[in-house]
Amino acid sequence: MLSSIIWTPLVFGLIGLLVPKRFAAWVAALGAVITLGLAIGVLAGFDPDGGMQYITDVSWIPGLGVDYSLGIDGVSIFLVLLTTIAWIPAICFSAIRGTDRPALYYLMLLAGETSTLGAFLAQDLLLFVLFFDLMIVPFYFLFGIWGRDRGGEEDPERSPGNGPVSVQSATLKMIVFTLIGSLLMLVGAIAAAVIAADGGELTFSIQTIVARGLPEGSQNWIFWFFAAAFLVKMPAFPLHGWMPDSYRAAPLPALAVFSAVLSKVGAYGFLRVVLPMMPDASDLFQSTMLVLAICSILYGSAMAFTKTDLRLVLGFSSVAQLGFITAGIFAFDSTGAEGAVLQMVNHGLVVVPAFLIVAMISERTGSEELGPMGGLAKKAPVFAVIFLIVSMATLAIPASANFIGEFYILNGLFQVDAAWAIVASVGVALAAFYALRMYQLTMHNPLPDGSDSREISLRDALVLVPMVGIVVVLAFCPQLIIHGSEQAVDSSIAIVREVAK
Amino acid sequence: MTATWAWLVLLFPLLGSLTIGATFKVLPERTAGLIGISAIVAAFVCGILALIGLQGEPSESRHVASSLWEYANVGGLKIDLGIYVDPLSIFMVLVVTGVSSLIHIYSYSYMESDQGYHRFFSYLNFFVFSMLVLVLAGNFIMLIVGWALVGFASYALISYWYRRNTATKAGMKAFVINVVGDIGLYIAAILIFKNLGSVDYGTVFERAPEVFTTNEWEIVAICLCLLVGAFAKSAQMPFHTWLADAMEGPTPVSSLIHAATMVTAGVYLIARCHSLFELAPTAADVAAWVGLATLLIAGTIAIAVTDLKRIIAYSTMSQIGYMFVGVSIGAYSAGMFHLMTHAFFKALLFMAAGSFISAMANMQDIDKMKGFRKAMPFTAAMFIIGALALSGFPGTSGWFSKDEIIDFAHFRGGMYDWMWVGMLIGAFMTAIYSFRIIFRILPGPPCEEAEYLEQHGHVIHGEPKNPATGELEDTEVGYPGEEHHIAEQAGGMKFAMAVLGVLALIGGLLQIPGVDDVITKFLEPTFENSVFAHMHPSTEDSWIGLGEGALISIAGIATAWLLYIKRPDLPVKFRQRFSAIYTLCVNKWYGDEIVDFLIVNPVKAFGRFCNRIFERFAIDGATTGVAGLTRSAGAAVRDLQSGLLRGYAVLMLFGILAIAVYFLIRSI
Repeated sequence: MLSSIIWTPLVFGLIGLLVPKRFAAWVAALGAVITLGLAIGVLAGFDPDGGMQYITDVSWIPGLGVDYSLGIDGVSIFLVLLTTIAWIPAICFSAIRGTDRPALYYLMLLAGETSTLGAFLAQDLLLFVLFFDLMIVPFYFLFGIWGRDRGGEEDPERSPGNGPVSVQSATLKMIVFTLIGSLLMLVGAIAAAVIAADGGELTFSIQTIVARGLPEGSQNWIFWFFAAAFLVKMPAFPLHGWMPDSYRAAPLPALAVFSAVLSKVGAYGFLRVVLPMMPDASDLFQSTMLVLAICSILYGSAMAFTKTDLRLVLGFSSVAQLGFITAGIFAFDSTGAEGAVLQMVNHGLVVVPAFLIVAMISERTGSEELGPMGGLAKKAPVFAVIFLIVSMATLAIPASANFIGEFYILNGLFQVDAAWAIVASVGVALAAFYALRMYQLTMHNPLPDGSDSREISLRDALVLVPMVGIVVVLAFCPQLIIHGSEQAVDSSIAIVREVAK
Repeated sequence: MTATWAWLVLLFPLLGSLTIGATFKVLPERTAGLIGISAIVAAFVCGILALIGLQGEPSESRHVASSLWEYANVGGLKIDLGIYVDPLSIFMVLVVTGVSSLIHIYSYSYMESDQGYHRFFSYLNFFVFSMLVLVLAGNFIMLIVGWALVGFASYALISYWYRRNTATKAGMKAFVINVVGDIGLYIAAILIFKNLGSVDYGTVFERAPEVFTTNEWEIVAICLCLLVGAFAKSAQMPFHTWLADAMEGPTPVSSLIHAATMVTAGVYLIARCHSLFELAPTAADVAAWVGLATLLIAGTIAIAVTDLKRIIAYSTMSQIGYMFVGVSIGAYSAGMFHLMTHAFFKALLFMAAGSFISAMANMQDIDKMKGFRKAMPFTAAMFIIGALALSGFPGTSGWFSKDEIIDFAHFRGGMYDWMWVGMLIGAFMTAIYSFRIIFRILPGPPCEEAEYLEQHGHVIHGEPKNPATGELEDTEVGYPGEEHHIAEQAGGMKFAMAVLGVLALIGGLLQIPGVDDVITKFLEPTFENSVFAHMHPSTEDSWIGLGEGALISIAGIATAWLLYIKRPDLPVKFRQRFSAIYTLCVNKWYGDEIVDFLIVNPVKAFGRFCNRIFERFAIDGATTGVAGLTRSAGAAVRDLQSGLLRGYAVLMLFGILAIAVYFLIRSI
C-alpha cells in the first residue's frame, strides 16, 4: 500500500513521456490525484493509537543490513497527505498555463513527489537518506531548466540583494549547500548504524538503532551531522544563504511545493530520527537549537518585512515559520511538539496557494516587486479574499489552525523557560506586520497604470479554492490533526523527555 | 435553552456576513443592507430571549457554559469551542447588538452611494460577530479568538476605502498594535494554564483563589499580561495611538468601534477577570492609574485638536479611561453602566458628526464649520443631547454613570482619593471640549456650506478630498460616494439618532442611587464573590457625589461658553501665552513619535541591518564563497563536467553513491 503511494507519481511521470505532449500534463494530474486517493485510503484505515502501521519490510541489501522498510504513523500520515494534496494544485496550475518540454517537466515534478513521499515513509535510515538526497535532484532540474534569470531590474538602493541572478549560479548554490548537508548526514547515518551495531549484526532499521542506543560521545557529533542536513533543508538561520537566489530563479509552481513540503522533511527528520536516536545529544544541545530557532524566527521576520521581492517575503516568512516549528520540537514538550506538527501541515497548506498567488499577481502587474504595484483588489474581490485568507493564516490569526499550532509551540517553549516563549512571541507581532504588508501593498492602495486588476479565472479558482477550503476547515477543527497525531508525537519525544528529566 | 439562544446570537451575524459577502454579485444593494440589519436585530432578539432564560434561573445558578466540540486538546491543554453565558456577557451582548443595530440602520442610509455597499455590510456584520465571540467566549482561547477577530475586522473597516494610502496605513497600525495586545493575552493564557491547569473560565475563576495568595508574582504577571491586551484593544496609554488614526474609516465604523464594540473590550476583560484582579491588587492599581492618566491626557488633547472626529475619538479614550478606573477599583457595575451609557451617547455623537461632515462635503475641521444651528436643526439637537450626556449634565445618562465611578473612588479613600480628584478634573475638561464643539459649529453666522444647505435644501458638492492629506480622491471605491447624506434628509439616519438620543437622555434612570439600581442588581450574580460585592457608598453620599458632578459639568459648560462665545480672544491668547503646552497637546503628547522612537524605528533599523548588512555580507558572502570554491574545484576537473547544468546533479548522485560505498566497505 505505502509502496504504491510512493511509486505511483513516478510511474505516471514515466507514462507522461510516452503519451503525446499535450496530454502529459493531464496524465501527471491524474497521477497526483490517484496518489492522493491512495493516501486517503490509508487514512481511512489508520488507527491513531496504533503506532507504526502499514509496515512493509523487505530485505534489500542484506549484506549491509539495508531494508526496504516503510511504515506510517500519526506524524507521517499528515505529512503524506500534505504532500499528495500540495502537488495537485502545482501540477494543475502548470497545466493550465503550459510549459516547455512538458513531459520532462512533469516527470521531474512527479519524481520529486515520489522521493518526498519516500522520505516521509522510510523506516530504514539509509533508505531515508537516499530519498532525502534524491528529492533535490528533480528540483535541481526544475529550477535549472524551467527557472529564469532575473535581471537587476529592481532598484538596488531600495531592495539590496535583489541584484541579477543567473539560474546557473542560483542552482549551484542550492546544490552545493544541500550536497554538503546530505553528505554529512550520510556519514552520520552510516556511523550511527555501525556504532549502534557495536560489532553485532549491522542494520539500518531506525527502530532497531533507537532500541540499541548510541553512546553519548558519538551522539554528539552524529547529531550535528544530521542537524546540518535538516537545517539547510528547512532552511534555518544561518544556513539559508542558498535560498534567496534559488527562490528568485525558480519556476513558481515547483517552488510552491518545494517550499511547502521539502522544508518539512527537515523538521520531520528531527522528530523521526534525531530526537529518538540521539536523545542525550538533543538534550545537551537543546539550548543551542532553541537559539538557532529563535534567531530564525526573528531574522526571518526581519528579512520578510524588509524584502520587496514577493518570493523572498514568502521565503523568509518560511524561515521564520520553520523557526517556530524547530522551537516547538526542541521544547521536548507534548504541546510544543504537537504544535510543531500541526504547524508543519498548516504552513504547507498556506504556502502553496501563496506562491501560486504570487504567480497570478505577476501575470497581472508584470512584476513581483512590492512597491510599484497595488490596488489589485479593485476588480478582483474574489482573488483578494483568497489572498486575504492566505495572509491571515500566514500571520496565524487566532481562529486559524495556525494560531493553535503557534500557541501550543509557545506553550511548549514556556515550559522550558518563559524567556524563550516571550522572545519567540515577538515573531508573532512581526508576522502580522510582514503578512499584512504583503497583502496591502499588492491588493490595496491606488492601482498604478499598466496593472491589470482582473478577477481570478474560474480554472485558477478551482486550483486554489480547495486548498484554501482545507485551511478554513482546519480553522474550525484543528483537533482533526491533533487527534490523529498526538500519540505518535508523544512517542517521538518520549525518549528525549526521559533523558531531559 | 439559554445556551441555544446565545449560540444563535453568534450565528446570525456570521450568517449575515457570509451571505452578503457571497452574493455580492447578485443581490441588490438595498437587500444586502437589509440582510445586514436584520442579522443584527435577530441577534439582539436572541440576546433578549437568552436574558429571559437566564433571569428564570435562581440567582446563584445564573451562568451557563456550553460547548460545540473539542477545538484542540494536547497534554491537558484542552480547548473547547465553548461559550459562557452569565449576566455580564448577556449585558454586553445586549449593548453590542442593540447599539450595533442602530448603527447598521444609520449606515443603510449613510453609505447609500458608496461603491462597496456589500463589502461594507459584510464587514460590519463580521465586526459585530467578532465582538460577540469576544464577550460570549467560554475560555481564554476563545476570548483570544474573538479578540483577534475584532482586530481583524477593525483593520478591514478602517482601511475600507483601501485606495487611500492614509486609510491602509491606519488599518495596518490598528492591526499591528492589536496583535501586540493579543500576544499579551497569549502569554496570560499560557501562564493561567501553567498555574491552574485549565483555560476554562469556570475552572480558572474557581481555582484561582485556592492556588494564589494575594499579590503573588504569578497572578500579578497574569493580570499585567491581560492588561497589555486590554490596553491595546481599548486604546489606553501607551497603546492608544491607533485610535485617532482609525478615524480613516467611514463614520459609522468610528461609531461602531467607539461605542458598541472593540474599545470596550478591555473594560469587559477586567470585569470578566475580576476575581483574578482582586488577587492581584497591584495589577488592578496599575490599570486604574493608567486609566486615570489616559483620561486626563486624552482630555487635554481633545481640547486642542480641531478635527471633529478626532476630538470625539480622544473623548472616547478619555471615557474608556473612566471605565478602566471603575472596574479596576471595584466599581464593577458602575464601570459597566458607564460602558452602556457611553455607548448610547458616543454612537449618537459620531452619527451627528457624520451628518455634519456630509454637509461639509467631507471637511472635518471644526475651524471651518459655523452656524449649522438653522441648517441642520435635528442633527444639532441630537449633537447637543450627546454632548450634554457626555459632559454629565444633571439628569442625563452620563451624569449618573460617570459620577458613580467617581464617587466610588472617593468612597475607597486613601490613594484612590487622588484618582477622585483626577477624575473630577477630567470631568471638567470633558464638559469644556464637548461644548467647545457645539459653540464652534452651531451658533454664529452660517459658513458657506451651511448657507448653501439652508438656501438650496441639499448638501453642497465638494471635490472628494482626503481629509487627512487634502489629496483628490478616486471615487470609484467611493469616498462615501458622490452623494452625501444628512440626518435631516435620510430616514434611517434620523431614526437611529432619535432612538439613541432618547436613550442618552433617559438611560441613566435605570440606576438612580437609592431608587432602582437595576444594573447593579442585574449584574450581581457575576460579581457576588467579589470582595467589593457589598461595598457601596451610602445613598446619601451618592447624591452628594451627583451634586458635585452636576456643578462641575455646569462649570465646564460655562467655561466653554466663556472661552468660545463670550471671549473668543481668550483661547488665542492662551495659546500664545502657553505655547509649549498647546504644542504638546495639539501634537497628542507626541504619542506617535515616542512609539516610533522606542519601538518602530529600532525594529525597522534591525530589519535594515539584517537585509542590507548581515544578509549581504555575512550570509550571501559566505554562500557565494562556498559555491565559488566548488565551482573552481569543478573547473579543475573540467573534463568530467559536461558544461550542462545537469552535470552537477549527475556528479552529485555518483558522488553520494561513491561515498556511500566507501563507507560501507570500510565499516564492514
